Amino acid sequence: MNKTQTNSIGFSLSSDRVSVIILLIPALIFCTIFIFIPAFWAIVGSFYSYGMTSLNDWKWVGFDNYIKASQDEFFWIALKNNFIIVFASIVLQVGVGTILAAILDRGIKYGKVIFRTIIFTPMVISSVAVSIIWLIIYDPNVGILNSILKAIGLPTPSMGWLGDPDISIWMIMIVAGWQNTGFMMVLILAGLQGVSKEVYDAAEIDGATGVKAFWYITLPMIRNIIIVAILITTIGAFKVFEFVYVLTQGGPSNATQVLGTYIYLQAFNLLHMGYANALSVVLLIIALILGWFQLKASRRA
Amino acid sequence: MLTSPYLNKEECKMKYYFSRIWAGILITLLSFSFTSSSYAIDIKLWDLSARQGQDEFYELLKKEVKKYNPDINVIVTEWENEAYKTQIQLALNGDDGPDVFFNWFGEDSARLARAGLALDLTPYADMEGGYGSFISKGWQDAGAVDGKIYGIANKAVSKYFYYDPAFFDQHNLSVPTTFGELIDTCKSIKAIDPSIVPWPMGNSERWKLNHVITMLNQRVVGAENTKADYALTAPDDELFTNPKYVEAWEKVVELNENCFNDAPNATNPELTRSMFAAQISPMMYCGTWCGGIFASEGFTDFKMFRFPRVEGGADDGTVGFLVAEGLQVSAKTKHPEAAALVASINVSDTMALADAELRGSLISNATLIDQMEDAPHWFTFYVNDIADKSGHVNVLDVLLEANVSNAYLDMGTEVLNGTKSPQEAMDFIRKVALEAKAAM
Repeated sequence: MNKTQTNSIGFSLSSDRVSVIILLIPALIFCTIFIFIPAFWAIVGSFYSYGMTSLNDWKWVGFDNYIKASQDEFFWIALKNNFIIVFASIVLQVGVGTILAAILDRGIKYGKVIFRTIIFTPMVISSVAVSIIWLIIYDPNVGILNSILKAIGLPTPSMGWLGDPDISIWMIMIVAGWQNTGFMMVLILAGLQGVSKEVYDAAEIDGATGVKAFWYITLPMIRNIIIVAILITTIGAFKVFEFVYVLTQGGPSNATQVLGTYIYLQAFNLLHMGYANALSVVLLIIALILGWFQLKASRRA
Repeated sequence: MLTSPYLNKEECKMKYYFSRIWAGILITLLSFSFTSSSYAIDIKLWDLSARQGQDEFYELLKKEVKKYNPDINVIVTEWENEAYKTQIQLALNGDDGPDVFFNWFGEDSARLARAGLALDLTPYADMEGGYGSFISKGWQDAGAVDGKIYGIANKAVSKYFYYDPAFFDQHNLSVPTTFGELIDTCKSIKAIDPSIVPWPMGNSERWKLNHVITMLNQRVVGAENTKADYALTAPDDELFTNPKYVEAWEKVVELNENCFNDAPNATNPELTRSMFAAQISPMMYCGTWCGGIFASEGFTDFKMFRFPRVEGGADDGTVGFLVAEGLQVSAKTKHPEAAALVASINVSDTMALADAELRGSLISNATLIDQMEDAPHWFTFYVNDIADKSGHVNVLDVLLEANVSNAYLDMGTEVLNGTKSPQEAMDFIRKVALEAKAAM
């Protein structure tokens, strides 16, 4: 069949190419409206000073917002916290998710579906609802965590789990880990189930069983899946907002501030929209770099 | 059907049908435009949620507004406190925001006025049903910016110490009249039972301690000395340098050591209200909205006292905490007169009485207050006490410039945690204040 047709004004277009363009148009329209245009205005806005209540009064400030960010201790705290969350999430979510997936794949014979469902369940609950549940668990006066610790004679933090600047970020990590580990487990489990049984049989003949087989056979075989899981976790950790906002609102005294909550604080509480735009651009650049890595890893996987 | 000499029969037929279709479309469009221009005027009103008796209050408002203009439909949307603070700013910048909206009067309402987002209501004071005939000049001025009225105050909130008189009587405790006596009372309560929290403090949302430091600044530093600092009009070398500010923070440290629960920064304010209502704690500092909440949780035998004066402080203890609240009108409303009418009727004699009776509000229009039936004892106390005060102070998180306000909120957390000393807290606030002043 001839795939090339000539239209009435003389252009020659492949019918496949026409279909591709037509099919892409809706996605392009939505991306333009909801991603490209806002991103463009965020970049433009980052060179201006204006507030939520003075949207028509933009003042050109050049790179001042970026210079301000480089000198803002809370921006660096937020960025540092994002990196802490990245590394802790990789350990908690991908690490524990991998171990759980391995146990479910080869470690237990019965009840795999039940365990898989139970571990995955927190993933389908809203992050805000999960945060509120943990807010009650962590409460220093009526929370079950303190009650259990006191009942077995262990000390509790005097400033509270979420009130102590030294531990509050880790308490948030536990909540995020509790919710997201199940998803990582399912992702990695899908990879594990793609590993041929013959490989394990051959390894067994060579004396590699249990942890040894997991380390030398399983992990290299699912390397690309793990890379994708790490990248998904990393991007999620940079986008984190709701856990921090509900649990601590970035406090105590900015100790748990992350880029998402700090941008929100600057934009909507302190009314520095231009500065918030500059911080968003920084976050956008980080997300683009990570997204590029994710795309590359996904293709390899 | 007419035919034309220039068109064939088929073309004439098509033209005839098209003309009918166009006529139909035109009639439909015209009927829609008549419907929308002649009848209903929808006025969207946004308020905070979860107030006792609010549904009944707004049902009555809708009826009262219709007495003046039967075409006005008031559509009420309620918001949670924290969500509202962000949402209202976004909505006012958009095209689908409220016509009439709640606000705290002070910097929050003035900022919207200065940005041109709130409507100047001055011309509507004396229209039929206008607020000018309902509230006094003093209350009108609560919503004034540069001599123009940008908001109609319908109520005010204040704060008091609530205490459990049965507990106080049982243990021979007397109501403290000075800060020193307050600390002694806390110590006495702890001596009775170390597990009792004398004054539960839930500062997880940061504003709770902000109300305390508002009063401590007032009692220790005084209105005259804080005025220029709060307005950021003091000279740079004097801005927030008064050592009395540090002294006020030192009082917070004293309270934290002797009165508050452990981990106040991780404690929810609602929980502390329940601790008092359940008589687990014998005393707490809470707003005038709290009396009704305690009653709804089954505790009505409480009494109140003012925030005590501080020995050697600049204030004699007669100035009280008072934040006026009310309705503003969006500058983008398509129906400014109708929106102004709704905001005005909100403070009419009938609505003010209903506000007091149904929502327990400290109303701006007290014309019919004598008709109020079965006023709870706490309401009577508030009304009498506010009338008896020599002056009022607005809360810092409403009064101060946004960055300075945020610095005060943050330092409250730091001082409670002991991660900053009172002097370090004030150094930080001064630094932020200088930056904010330079940016003005």
